[in-house]
Amino acid sequence: MLELRGVSYRYAGYATTVLHEVDLRLDDGQIVGLVGPNEAGKSTLCLVASGLAPASIGGSLTGTLTLDGTPAQGLSTHQLAERVVVGFQNPNTQRSGIAATVFEEIALGPMNLGLAVAETVARTREAIARLKLEHLVLRDPQRLSGGQAQLVGIASLLAMRPRHVILDEPTAQLDPAGTRLVGEALRALAETGTSLLIAEHKTDLLDGLCSRIVAIDGGRIALDGPTAEVFDDPRLAALGVEPPARARLGRLLASHGIAAAVLAGAVVDSAR
Amino acid sequence: MTGATTPAGGAIIRTEGLVHVYGGETRALDGVDLSIARGERVAIVGQNGSGKSTLVRHFNGLLRPTEGRVFVDGADAAGRRVADLAATVGLAFQDPDRQIFAGKVRTEVAFGPRNLGRAGAALDEAIDAALIATGLDKDALTNPYDLGYSRRKLLALASILAMGTPVVVLDEPTTGQDARGLERIRQIVADLSAAGRTVIAVSHDMRFVAEAFERVVVMRDGRIVLDGAPADVFAEAAWPTLASTFLEPPLPARIGARLGLGSTPTDEALLAALGGSGSASP
Amino acid sequence: MIGGYLGPLAIIGFAILPAAVIAGVAGRLVRISLLLTLPIAISVVLVSVFTRAGSHILFSLGPFDATAEGVDFAGQTLVRLFAISTSIGLFGLTTEPRSFVLDLERRGLSPRFAFVALATLEAVPAMVERAGVIASAQRARGLDTEGSVRARLRGILPLVGPVILSSLTEVEERSLALEVRAFGRPGRRHLLFRIPDSRTQLVVRAALLLALVVAVVTRVTGTFPSLP
Repeated sequence: MLELRGVSYRYAGYATTVLHEVDLRLDDGQIVGLVGPNEAGKSTLCLVASGLAPASIGGSLTGTLTLDGTPAQGLSTHQLAERVVVGFQNPNTQRSGIAATVFEEIALGPMNLGLAVAETVARTREAIARLKLEHLVLRDPQRLSGGQAQLVGIASLLAMRPRHVILDEPTAQLDPAGTRLVGEALRALAETGTSLLIAEHKTDLLDGLCSRIVAIDGGRIALDGPTAEVFDDPRLAALGVEPPARARLGRLLASHGIAAAVLAGAVVDSAR
Repeated sequence: MTGATTPAGGAIIRTEGLVHVYGGETRALDGVDLSIARGERVAIVGQNGSGKSTLVRHFNGLLRPTEGRVFVDGADAAGRRVADLAATVGLAFQDPDRQIFAGKVRTEVAFGPRNLGRAGAALDEAIDAALIATGLDKDALTNPYDLGYSRRKLLALASILAMGTPVVVLDEPTTGQDARGLERIRQIVADLSAAGRTVIAVSHDMRFVAEAFERVVVMRDGRIVLDGAPADVFAEAAWPTLASTFLEPPLPARIGARLGLGSTPTDEALLAALGGSGSASP
Repeated sequence: MIGGYLGPLAIIGFAILPAAVIAGVAGRLVRISLLLTLPIAISVVLVSVFTRAGSHILFSLGPFDATAEGVDFAGQTLVRLFAISTSIGLFGLTTEPRSFVLDLERRGLSPRFAFVALATLEAVPAMVERAGVIASAQRARGLDTEGSVRARLRGILPLVGPVILSSLTEVEERSLALEVRAFGRPGRRHLLFRIPDSRTQLVVRAALLLALVVAVVTRVTGTFPSLP
């Protein structure tokens, strides 16, 4: 379980507090979606929930972050790395720059954890299988397309088998098939007990994937509840978040007296 | 369902049998014949690797055909420099950090039009208009790296808009944008079209494509497999072809099909069909 | 005279060049070594020939006398330089840098140093790639990369600026991403790769080490022919 209690955060050297009194809880096996307009604090929240803020980048944090019962304060960055990983949206920065092949790139995380070779290879293979990257294993990580690089970046994190995975816009560079692939991989991952926090603009993706949605605005949690409830909340649009197509059209149809069953049917039609 | 009606002459961008092979082996474009009329709003969709980005990079000469020809504004693009074609075709790249170099937003936006020879009052007007359209007018003197990533993307877009090119090509304009950013992009596309400029966008966002564009070109494995209005490309008859490219029609289209209302690719179309039919039997 | 030339020429002739031929890099090796030593060679020749004290004057240039001793000294220094440059060149041309660094780590080099070494090796190709993307974007904005010298000079900032700027702004996120993947964790890592090391290579390495010790000892004790 990952829990933030009363967390406020200010970046080093800045006067403004970027997060205010944030409470957030991620239970094992839970997938939580994080939505909000740009510059509302989504990325900062991801950094803080991973412990890297302040452990690595400094800044001042009030409140507590607890990882599986252990307070994160005082943990070093590699101790944090054993428990929680965070992925950023720019695939260029996710690349280590020292791996000759994609396999090596994905294996770097487990290798850095000091695992035995057999274990490193096993975890790497598992991550590759989850994201169906078998056809890329021998490629040079520098020569991948943006979408491929993003998938490799996510696989590199999953290979570490963390208890908690935080992803900041993991599908930004992906096409619809890639987005679906990531969704399926994350769903399967949650079934193993990993907790996930996913910051995304693609509310359609979150709609099918998350059990809970948290909406952030101006550094404060504005909404936090079950997916359907939050996405049907009329306040969402005011926050600058585009509700999923299902919710949007559900309202449209309802205003014309069409039963929700029709909508559900149309959505199911295209479900894989 | 291939081949939209090609306008008689006056195509601003035209490709003939365009083939592009990367590094001697990857056939990114496998014979593309495309004709885009002046003032058209065209969206090019397809999976990563379908050839979308490769195709549009031929429009301003960044890539040259391995076989076939590309015509920009009536003349063969071969032998014309990228810097010259840039006066006709402005291409907004996906990654803003691979072009920003100025210390102020305004200076950055001025770069493109300056290269095209604009100066003085005309230059200032072009910059102002671009900044207002992208919501960056209040940040004209801000350092680009003090803006967040999504606003830097808008900055990259502004720097192309300010060039005033007859053709504007947008490469994945909506990625990373929130609802407000999306609305801005939609408005920009509409305004460009209203001004008679040709807009070509490469996008994964089917809703954006269905709502903002009058023509959708679907690519797969370096070829065009569908080409027509959103109502045609997202109609039920086209779904198997769409499925073969792993694309899905937008939700309104699926609902309309379920309700037997014909092709309704957008919320508006669905609404209109519902209003027209009076009652709907699920 | 032959004494001072013997050693270096023997090394080049019996060790370095045969090895280079076997490895198939002889041509490149000679070219690169000549290129590397050329600047030093020119200054060595000029200085030695004209300033070395000696009695056999060959010719004069103004106040400077070219002596036979000077020529001899220059010659011996050149072969030594060539021996050094060809041996370093041979190492560079036949060793895969990645394998070298990883093997060093396996033998005890700190993973942090290994990372820095490897990242440095990759840094230039990565920057070249980045510069290519940036050049495309700026050309699409009308930047003239094929015109007059003045135009190209104006283009330096828009081409170089983003390379440096984006590299710098990415540093923080890159290092965070590295920390997430436990770089810098104290302790050894179990590397995936092991560079194959045969008995023969072990024996050759031992022999080379021995030869090095012998060479140093004989040089120091004065039993090796030295420069006049």
